Amino acid sequence: MKRILVLLLISPMLPPASAWAADGGQVIAIRAGRIVTVAGGIIENGIVLVRGGKIEDVGKDLQVPGDAQVIDASKQTVVPGFIDAHSHLGLSLDALSEIDETVQPIAAEMQVIDAFDPTADALAKAVRCGVTTAMLAPGSRNPVGGQTAIVKLSGGSPDRWLLRQTAGVKLSVAGDVLMHDRKPTSMPGLITMLRERLDSAKSYTAAKFDPSTEVLSRLVQRAIPAYVQAQTVDEVSAATNLISQYNLQAVITGGDQADEVVETLVQQKVPVIYGPLLLYSKDKDLKRPAKLAGAGVKLAFSSCSPRTCAADIRTSAILAVRYGLSRDEAMKALTLNAAEILGVADRLGSIQKGRDADLVIFDADPLDASSRVETVIIDGKVVYQRERT
Amino acid sequence: MTEVKSVCLGGIFLLFPLLAASAGAERIAIRGGTILPVSSNPISNGTVLIENGKILAVGADVVVPGGAREIDARGKFILPGFMDAQSCLYMVDGEPRLLQGEPDWNVTDGLDPFIEGWEEVLAQGVTAVYVAPPAKSGIAGRGAVLRLNGARTPAKLVLKADAAVKANLGVSLNNQSSSLARLNDYADLRETLIETQAYMQRKRRYEQDLAEYEKKKGETGKEDKKEGKKEDIAAKEKKPQDLKRPDKPATDPAHEILGKVLDRKIPLEITAHRMQDILNALRLAEEFQFSLILDECTEGYLVAEEIARRKVPVIAGPVSTSFAEVPQVEYRNHDPRNAGILSAKGVQTAIGVGGRDGLSSKFIVTAAGLAVANGMDKDAALRAVTLTPAEILGVADRIGSLDAGKDADIVVMTGPPFDTASQVVTVLIEGKVVYERKPSP
Repeated sequence: MKRILVLLLISPMLPPASAWAADGGQVIAIRAGRIVTVAGGIIENGIVLVRGGKIEDVGKDLQVPGDAQVIDASKQTVVPGFIDAHSHLGLSLDALSEIDETVQPIAAEMQVIDAFDPTADALAKAVRCGVTTAMLAPGSRNPVGGQTAIVKLSGGSPDRWLLRQTAGVKLSVAGDVLMHDRKPTSMPGLITMLRERLDSAKSYTAAKFDPSTEVLSRLVQRAIPAYVQAQTVDEVSAATNLISQYNLQAVITGGDQADEVVETLVQQKVPVIYGPLLLYSKDKDLKRPAKLAGAGVKLAFSSCSPRTCAADIRTSAILAVRYGLSRDEAMKALTLNAAEILGVADRLGSIQKGRDADLVIFDADPLDASSRVETVIIDGKVVYQRERT
Repeated sequence: MTEVKSVCLGGIFLLFPLLAASAGAERIAIRGGTILPVSSNPISNGTVLIENGKILAVGADVVVPGGAREIDARGKFILPGFMDAQSCLYMVDGEPRLLQGEPDWNVTDGLDPFIEGWEEVLAQGVTAVYVAPPAKSGIAGRGAVLRLNGARTPAKLVLKADAAVKANLGVSLNNQSSSLARLNDYADLRETLIETQAYMQRKRRYEQDLAEYEKKKGETGKEDKKEGKKEDIAAKEKKPQDLKRPDKPATDPAHEILGKVLDRKIPLEITAHRMQDILNALRLAEEFQFSLILDECTEGYLVAEEIARRKVPVIAGPVSTSFAEVPQVEYRNHDPRNAGILSAKGVQTAIGVGGRDGLSSKFIVTAAGLAVANGMDKDAALRAVTLTPAEILGVADRIGSLDAGKDADIVVMTGPPFDTASQVVTVLIEGKVVYERKPSP
């Protein structure tokens, strides 16, 4: 944490300080043709009032303070900033290098935040498309990959963008884990290894300090959630077995075929961070997110960036809508569901009093492919404005 | 004639076999919808009249002759069928990354008309695809424009063979840095084209020599008859030398096809992602004067003016990284605004899906929509998946827009093409209904 701070302070790539100057009193009023609050329905021809980076009020007939900066979005749609609920955004300068410490299969003590570059180009690309927050996760090549984090894509110093340094622990029961030159080499071996580690985490005491087991002990105490990468039916089943056996507070990530065991997921109240939904999938696969949501599974979207661009969580949502997901559910998946799954719904995911002013203005319905992002606001600051031609 | 027939058409034939036969001309009128002809302004409450597979008339006051089958498109949108100019549909193995092709490899020799999922692509309104051999290195081979007409033999899928010859510049084979491969690709391609020039020179000289030989042979014969024995001695001395039939140089199919490229009879499509490769492709086109199509052109936005100045068309793609297998080094500077920037700078820009497999082509309209979201003009984006690719690949006389005389490859949608809620309800290819949406249960 300290190291990052120092790095950032000396970084020449910081945005100008003035952009981030503490500006507690700044008031913005967005006159919107349509406000998709997500938590409280849709308001036509309303106003969003922002003060000091927070949403002060939202409604139809609000008094606009005289000193407010007014943004005219009266023909446009305002939505909460999108949340990429499972991403490797900005985790490496080179998209091709490894983000997993695969020499060591259990790496619970590793923190993904230590590899995060808040100035990476990929962040600006994501912001331009309306993504304002990302859950950063280790990859899926270790049974225990390390600790996830939650960041805003505003850049600047960590006190601006760091929401959670440890948001949970990434586990993986996906085929990617299996390697021929280190354990585990087989699926049963993988599950056995995870069980052994979780068993020993149950009886962990600080007297025998071990950083990895210490983190896993918080997992089995339900103090932090597990994000379990699982794609195929058997992987998702293995994941739900593990989750119920150790009573983990858990989320499935990836979840390609999770709909095949949807009853179990509903019964165990396990949400799914789905995707990315890829554009070469078969029709039946494109219907899976709709099936999950339809059965009552809480759904959010993963870009798995850089596998797809973080902006493509919207592409996933659009496709899911084409294949049966309701627009309301899709919008929730991009915003409030993601915030709830990640445990930050008190700050993000909806447009209501007291929430962070992370807002995106679209020229039309965000779930139509051709709709454009006009303005992106993070913590009450305009971080992107589309150039008009 | 295609094998796939609509249920309704079949029904009509069953009910009125004699009428259908006696009428001679088979007419269909698609009535009452908003027509987006692409080549001209939208027409509300218009009619498209089709006769024998061709578009006969498009407009607001088209007189529909009696006996025409009517398709009610009231409240719907009528568009030309969509085209993905970056498809690998009908290819059995869409992506053998380590394969090097040959100039004379013809994609039409490897098509599988029964490939799984092609109907899903058709159901999204895609009526044509351009498919090239998928080799990632060197010259990949000869590409073709195919129709999704349900034909059961590869030959019948083909709308235009040899639409382009495809080559690659600087495409990495193993997802590692491709700097050295880039030099090699460029040098190899240039060398091959120089060899082709020499081959064509030999061929032309032979043709000239042969023509001269035939001429002289004829003349000598005449002279012999005319002059009698006057110059008998001289002729005898000359004859064996002058009238030797020229040796025919060996024919080589690879150089034959590239010769057509150098003669500008077939465009050379060069897949180039990064700026250096794009500039190298432009340089080659200038040196050898072939007609160039830039494919992918991932970093084209960085050199859009250069491309526009040389009037080189681009098949840009993929718009979204969701289409492709990323990360690849080629996509390191991928920018979804690419197609929009190219188009705004005056480059003739088609949008390809650039997908990993053939099924990706079904999202060509989504790709165009995403290009709009990232700044492309809406009309340009619709054109980029209909008329523009048809123009670039030399089939605009047949498909790409709703104009009289063109093939009746038509899509009827429930709403505007870029709205997520819009559904394709009917697809016609050459006037045959090849897809009709089943009413939802």
